[in-house]
Amino acid sequence: MNQREKVWGLILLCFVFLGYLIPYTFLSNITKWYGSFLLWSILGIFVIIANYRLTKDWSDKE
Amino acid sequence: MSTVLVWGTIGVYIAFALVIAFLSRNGKQNSMTGYFLGERKLNGFVSALSYSATTYSAFMLVGLAGLTYSGGIGAFGFEIIYFMGVSLVAIFGPRFWLVGKKYGYVTPSEMLGDRYESKWVAIITALASCLFLIPYSAVQLTGIGYLLQGVTNNAIPFTTGVVIATILALVFSYIAGIRSVAWTDSLQSLMMIITSTIVVILIINGLGGLGGFFHAIESSDPQALAVPGNGFFDFWTFLGLTLPWFFFSISNPQVSQRLFMPASLKSMRHMLLGFLIFGFIYTIVSVVWGFSASVLFPGLENADLATPMLLSSEHVPPLLGVIVMVGIMAAAISTIDSIMLTLSSIFSRDVFRNVKKDANDKQQLMVGKLVIPIIAILAFLFAQLQLDLIAVLSVSSSAGLIVVVPAIIGAFFWKKGTAAGVIVSVLVGSVLVFILEFFQLIPLGLKSGIWGIFVSAVLFIVISLLTNAPWGKADAFIGYVREQMKTRKMYR
Repeated sequence: MNQREKVWGLILLCFVFLGYLIPYTFLSNITKWYGSFLLWSILGIFVIIANYRLTKDWSDKE
Repeated sequence: MSTVLVWGTIGVYIAFALVIAFLSRNGKQNSMTGYFLGERKLNGFVSALSYSATTYSAFMLVGLAGLTYSGGIGAFGFEIIYFMGVSLVAIFGPRFWLVGKKYGYVTPSEMLGDRYESKWVAIITALASCLFLIPYSAVQLTGIGYLLQGVTNNAIPFTTGVVIATILALVFSYIAGIRSVAWTDSLQSLMMIITSTIVVILIINGLGGLGGFFHAIESSDPQALAVPGNGFFDFWTFLGLTLPWFFFSISNPQVSQRLFMPASLKSMRHMLLGFLIFGFIYTIVSVVWGFSASVLFPGLENADLATPMLLSSEHVPPLLGVIVMVGIMAAAISTIDSIMLTLSSIFSRDVFRNVKKDANDKQQLMVGKLVIPIIAILAFLFAQLQLDLIAVLSVSSSAGLIVVVPAIIGAFFWKKGTAAGVIVSVLVGSVLVFILEFFQLIPLGLKSGIWGIFVSAVLFIVISLLTNAPWGKADAFIGYVREQMKTRKMYR
């Protein structure tokens, strides 16, 4: 694994971890749209951005 | 729903799909790589849509919506964790692609067999894929049968629905192999994302906009917006459900085989990002769909009826409802045809070629094409029989295939991995998952997928350490990936 993969891989792992942790702890009593729904939506968007950055230098060389 | 309208829409869909399938017949389909991998020349856009269609079966608008209906927002979390797992493509995608081109791999099990220098690794991982994925296809077919029967009030009987779906899946994979599958997949996923989004917008408007929508959920069942909510998604259930799906993108051959197909890494990037955007929208649409049904039709006995109820309600214009319904049928077909194609390539490449050593490319292709209808018939018969065993295998498919994950990670990142380690971990792991699912056992409160990945990882590591690794191959394989990633200046 190279540097960029390590950094972004770790960031993505953190997102996954937060996706398990926060809804079952801090948000388990928040029964509003700004609870788990919002958190998972934001994490979903972060994941797209992380993948965008991680794959930035993939070339069109065949 | 009017039967005439349903038949008419199915007719239009078939006509469109057939035209597209025939138009896709460019390039050569007379070789294994031509037929099953599109000569490794698929462009990013089609790859993205096809990857989406293959991944998202009828499960989304029926199963996930139903899961939201009965378990609330946890269903969204479940799908988002899966979604995050697709990031594994960013790590494994280039590696699969590079070694696929270098060594000419057609299937993921072929890659494992070569990397661990054992034909038994290829054969066993190939058979494990067939064992779990044929029943999975059968259950998709069953779903179509019930859906058509349900929304037309038995005017289209169960068997008719199943027959239509089987024939279409067969035709789409036969016309031009992966090319016709990819192009019809693209038609299906585009149609699906557009129409289902329109339905959701209409329903939300009907409920008084986004504010009104959330207000309606909060007042009808506030617990639905938190986990564990009504208790459906307690943490260990959530973990047990999500873990196998997290690894779906590398454990399931019908999607991991896609990593061999893009024309370039740039195309693969477009496939990955296109899929992520598609998947994110589709996930939200499916979850909102389920919530809408819970607000509009509370108290359904069977949550899987949520979608048929919504589609035949006054909130959705009849024509749109029928189009979405045919779209759900098409979604199941686009998953089945990809699985059929992948399994037939796996059978011919990893079982047939290892039994008949001198089989050339033409013979392998011929066997592959012969196997496609056999798999279709098996899936059809399983769907007709509706055996408990089939349902168990289907439910356990994602958990069952997770046992290959340690071997796949090891192939790229651990030179000490051995064939014996792979064989034992896959065999013991999949038998264990099957037993747990069959007898519905949950030892220590942990579901089969968690046991599957844990036991197979431990076995893979311990047995590999006790046996001799294929050092030469491991060095060449991992070294090639490293060198290529450097010369291609990826990750500057």
